[in-house]
Amino acid sequence: METYDISLEGMLFSFLLLLIPLVISYYLGLKLTSSTLESAVRMVLQLVFVGIFLTFVFDLNNAFINITWVFVMVIVASHTVLKNAELKTRNLLPVLVLFMALTNYSMLLYFNRFILDLNNLIDARYFIPIAGMVLGNSLKANVIGMENFCNEIQRNENRYLFRLSMGAEKTEALVPYLRKSMRVALKPTIANMATIGIVFLPGMMTGQILAGASPIVAIEYQIAIMLAIYVTTMVNVFLGVLVLIHRGFDDYGMFKKELLRNP
Amino acid sequence: MGILDIRNLSVSYDGKTILSDFDLSVSKGEKILIKGRSGIGKSTLFRIIMGFSVHNSGEISLDGIPVDSEHIWDIRRRVAYVSQDTDIAEGKVSDLLDEVFSFKANKDNPAIEDLESIMDELSLSSGLLNKQYMKLSGGEKQRIALVLALISGKDIFLLDEVTAELDADLKHKVVEMFFDNSQWTVLSISHDREWEDKALKVIDFSEEANNGNIRH
Repeated sequence: METYDISLEGMLFSFLLLLIPLVISYYLGLKLTSSTLESAVRMVLQLVFVGIFLTFVFDLNNAFINITWVFVMVIVASHTVLKNAELKTRNLLPVLVLFMALTNYSMLLYFNRFILDLNNLIDARYFIPIAGMVLGNSLKANVIGMENFCNEIQRNENRYLFRLSMGAEKTEALVPYLRKSMRVALKPTIANMATIGIVFLPGMMTGQILAGASPIVAIEYQIAIMLAIYVTTMVNVFLGVLVLIHRGFDDYGMFKKELLRNP
Repeated sequence: MGILDIRNLSVSYDGKTILSDFDLSVSKGEKILIKGRSGIGKSTLFRIIMGFSVHNSGEISLDGIPVDSEHIWDIRRRVAYVSQDTDIAEGKVSDLLDEVFSFKANKDNPAIEDLESIMDELSLSSGLLNKQYMKLSGGEKQRIALVLALISGKDIFLLDEVTAELDADLKHKVVEMFFDNSQWTVLSISHDREWEDKALKVIDFSEEANNGNIRH
């Protein structure tokens, strides 16, 4: 089986679809016209760039380049998480990058070694797309986790102060907030896992089937990647909140509001 | 030197001066009532002693230990602070108690054995432990917070309007409980007459304001 290439005409037809959201936005006064266009343009530029870049990276298949590229992905992901969680990057970014790099590299090596049983653990064809799947899918949960933690500690500050006045250490007083943030952040991933295949056909599986793989192989990959995503998401959310617990409070144990973009 | 010493304390927020060169010395066992109209900075004083708010200048020490970032964690283990905000927990009352007594600082606290008798004294039935904290009445929440302070084994109390939502009988009982123990040092912010009737020392923040120690 071979995948049909999409012709230029076909690509134009796909852009034609954009008219629908633009018309709806115009008539309902959603004011989404410029952001829709901007996002679409960004998507095209980024994907064209990545397409060229990945062709080059796959041809070279150099371990150093592959590892470096994944590191760049980790930096961008960490930055996106902080930005979307309305946090300033200055104090938090380096340590978040370090943690996320650690979990993601470990997961990738484990995946390639024990699940796929590859000879070359850093083979670009596996290393980079799987890194993208794992990182991309854990990103949203990380935003929810860190944002929820910051919101709760401010909204329910009194409960935290109460625990401190009852003699709790900072970490003891913050455990309930950690639990809550992790539960909220992981819920969508858990719901995803439970409905996969019925409610939606995941992108990876669809891609493999379109590329000519048998549905059975596609399913094997999908199960393995879902589990990898869930584990990485949980560890990433945990580490993200841990970064906040360690960096987000002053010597008195008070939350540093100056870390927020809009204090 | 008293058990609590405050010297030249000045506090301002958003350009508004709340306290200016405020002095206070409290001896062990003393019971002090702090009163004055709301918004004048009474609660802020407690928050500063607990390290929850910062002050601009001045010194505070508790039993000779300065209130600073290095010692604040020890001070929090010595002082029982009951805030007027009773939104302190979700879940069952018993879970709240279990959590508080799971903290390292409270694990070997023998005072927990008094739980039942203190709850009884404050007219709280043991059935309350299985109820959701959020569903309790304001007065019940206030009494649960008080119970936790009373069994904490601490001997310095900062009480912020802890009797406001209680009926006259209970107000009286709570005041008696604190006054009966001569070892306990109590600072109570309250508008209730029951405290004023008993307290030997009353600090009126409104008067202090007139004397220029508190600005508003």
